Amino acid sequence: MNNKPKILLVDDETAITDRLQPFLSRAGFDVDVASDGEAALIKIVSYTPDLIVLDVLMPRMDGREVLRQLRQKGDWTPIILLTQVGESAERAMALMEGADDYINKPFDPNELAARIKTVLRRASPGQPPLTVAERLRSGDLVVDRPKRRAYLNAIEINLSPKAMSLLEYLITHPDELLSRDRLLDAVWGWDYPIGTRTVDTRIAELRRVLGDDPGDPQYIETIPGQGYRFIGKVEKTS
Amino acid sequence: MKWWGWILSLLPAGVGILIGILATNENITNPVLFLRGRFAVLATLCGVTISIIIIAAAQFWIHTQKKHNREIQGVRKQANEDRQRFLQRLDHELKNPLTVIRAGLTNMTYEPLEDYLANEVSAVQAQVIRISHLVADLRKLAALEITPLETTVVSMAELLTEVVNVVKDQANMGDRQLTLILPHAPWPLPDVEGDPDLLLLAVHNLLDNAVKFTAPGDTIEVRAFDDGSDIVIEIADTGPGISEAEIDRVWEELYRGEQARSVPGSGLGLPLVRAIIEKHGGNVGLRSRPDQGTVFSVRLPAI
Repeated sequence: MNNKPKILLVDDETAITDRLQPFLSRAGFDVDVASDGEAALIKIVSYTPDLIVLDVLMPRMDGREVLRQLRQKGDWTPIILLTQVGESAERAMALMEGADDYINKPFDPNELAARIKTVLRRASPGQPPLTVAERLRSGDLVVDRPKRRAYLNAIEINLSPKAMSLLEYLITHPDELLSRDRLLDAVWGWDYPIGTRTVDTRIAELRRVLGDDPGDPQYIETIPGQGYRFIGKVEKTS
Repeated sequence: MKWWGWILSLLPAGVGILIGILATNENITNPVLFLRGRFAVLATLCGVTISIIIIAAAQFWIHTQKKHNREIQGVRKQANEDRQRFLQRLDHELKNPLTVIRAGLTNMTYEPLEDYLANEVSAVQAQVIRISHLVADLRKLAALEITPLETTVVSMAELLTEVVNVVKDQANMGDRQLTLILPHAPWPLPDVEGDPDLLLLAVHNLLDNAVKFTAPGDTIEVRAFDDGSDIVIEIADTGPGISEAEIDRVWEELYRGEQARSVPGSGLGLPLVRAIIEKHGGNVGLRSRPDQGTVFSVRLPAI
């Protein structure tokens, strides 16, 4: 029996799909390919993928439109967007529209395989991902994403804008090892040598405000030499 | 026009009227007689006319100046928009080929390769990654110029202390003398309004450059002071200096000076510094003497 996760790879450049299909197959996935948005919508019905890797810029129907149509139908198949959108604000928008994750072109194929595994592990079939939830709760902490506010024991906490964005990213990616470089790229939109220290400074701010002890953390765990992980159990709330 | 401009332009009218008042205390009813005969009124008229001419000339000059400035700004804006579009297209046209090359190279290493091939593949891989970073950095630099800042009150004194401590711990520090000089009397360094992460990045880039371009035994000084409305930060070193011909070039994207060719870097460090500081309403400057050293300066509006 074939119980490999089924991945639908959607990109109009055959040079890309021709390279990535064998790569992802060797990485342990069952892979099918569609060359534009319309073809993808048709393939999704027959192939029923566990996850879709979706390029944004494509002829006929672009990736954003595919994402919108699927989510409007209530189809919550996990989607990783392949983007080259530089601004973190636009990428945050993509997540709010219902993507589970995104990866910037050009990327390391191993990174793509790792992200696919993470999203598959995190996704609960048929359910919207945490990345589209408006309010999230972890223990005593509640994050209201549209209002960009956070509450601890129902009392609003005061965070700098960057610390708020960082908390939002952490709580929507629970139980995932997030390297400093990835956090920089996702939250700050740039990665420079000093950047890793910038991340540490904001993590320290979050811990101070949340009263989280790094030695016995409730929320943010340090993985020495690798990055951080949000370890609190996260649930959607209203 | 400034207040003193108005005073100067109205001075002739004032003097003319004053002479008129002093020279006559009669009530004249016939203006024609008055014009012909009376020195007093002539003086007044002359004064007022001169004032009107001065004001008209000044307004015309100011108007021309403003128009000229608007034109220059328009040209600059256009050039900047062209550059942004160019970078977007470059990024767009390179991203897919680079994705293909990276995936292809990764596929090639799936089966163990013979040693010489493995070396070739890893060398090519390293260069592809380098190009990927370069393109990404160029795009981020362009994005920085159009993304709004998230500002808070930033203590530059604390920020400089932090950067200096970070750089002191860097492995390439050697036995360079690095000192930070902050004002304490009569008042400490004022705060600025800004994005602390970006400001930290800018100052770090400058200081990191100073370390990269000096030799062990050289001196690096970080100084800060305020001169009323601004704070000024200087990063001074006793390194090799920058030749006069290169001084204006170092802020350009991808420019690598003569000294820089042997030092690893992207050619985007200083353009990034300038973009960050200008985004904060400040400016950057540089003075240097070959064989003596270089002073980079950053000026930021104080709160």
